[in-house]
Amino acid sequence: MEIYGGTINLLEKGLDYSSAKGKAISQNIANVDTPNYKTKNVNFKEVFSNEKSKSLEAYKTDSRHLDFIHSTTSKTWDLSNLRYRQDRNGVDMDKEQADLAANQIYNSALIERLNGKFNSLQSVIKGGR
Amino acid sequence: MSIFHSLNSSSSALTAQRLRMDVISSNMANVDSTRAKQVDGEWQPYRRKTVTLQPKDGQFSSFLQVAKGVHSHGNAGNGVVVSRVKEDRETPFKLVFDPTHPDANEEGYVEMPNIDPLREMIDLMSATRSYEANVTALNANKSMLMKALEIGR
Repeated sequence: MEIYGGTINLLEKGLDYSSAKGKAISQNIANVDTPNYKTKNVNFKEVFSNEKSKSLEAYKTDSRHLDFIHSTTSKTWDLSNLRYRQDRNGVDMDKEQADLAANQIYNSALIERLNGKFNSLQSVIKGGR
Repeated sequence: MSIFHSLNSSSSALTAQRLRMDVISSNMANVDSTRAKQVDGEWQPYRRKTVTLQPKDGQFSSFLQVAKGVHSHGNAGNGVVVSRVKEDRETPFKLVFDPTHPDANEEGYVEMPNIDPLREMIDLMSATRSYEANVTALNANKSMLMKALEIGR
């Protein structure tokens, strides 16, 4: 019986995604004046299933062995066909700012939930006292 | 990849945008400089300088990371870098009729720098706005890191 349940693992994956997203957004905003720069995006859900089958599988002789790559839940890639400016730069500043705000809220929601989880565990450990 | 990766990206952009502003200031300051450098005993006016930016990736380590299959945010890039400061040799010098000027030629025309103050002002505004956007991104990522320190409090 797992006392933590699956919630903490899921929240951890979410935080991984949120940090990757934060990096991609910083990179996009940093390169807003770079000619020919293509927007980078991070995807969480869609890549997960087909990325797992593509990557190198570890030969496991025990169920507790880890995969070679166990954090390929999110992947960054270029949106190469997107451009709407004269210098072929694909960064949409409004979208990046909105994504930045959304990512921040998403991140604090995850941390809030994680703390809630830890607090209830603590309350169980202390026996409700 | 360090947890401060996103902060480093933003700060590289802040440095690059500040350098752009410095170059623009230099252009504006030299809008009337007729003696920038001497070529064959003749004084040449100041040439407008431009900054070329490029993404700071495509380094060996990032390709290695991709080849190894470790693309957990590995190919997000490392920010932006100034690849070079170039002199504008496309735009011609402005000719101003002023026979009293010590650098005037036989017909009384003076070659002035190829700087258009309007264009510099627009570049300056663009650099300022980009700088502000990067400050916003930096603050957002900083507050996310500060929030992460509160886990388990």
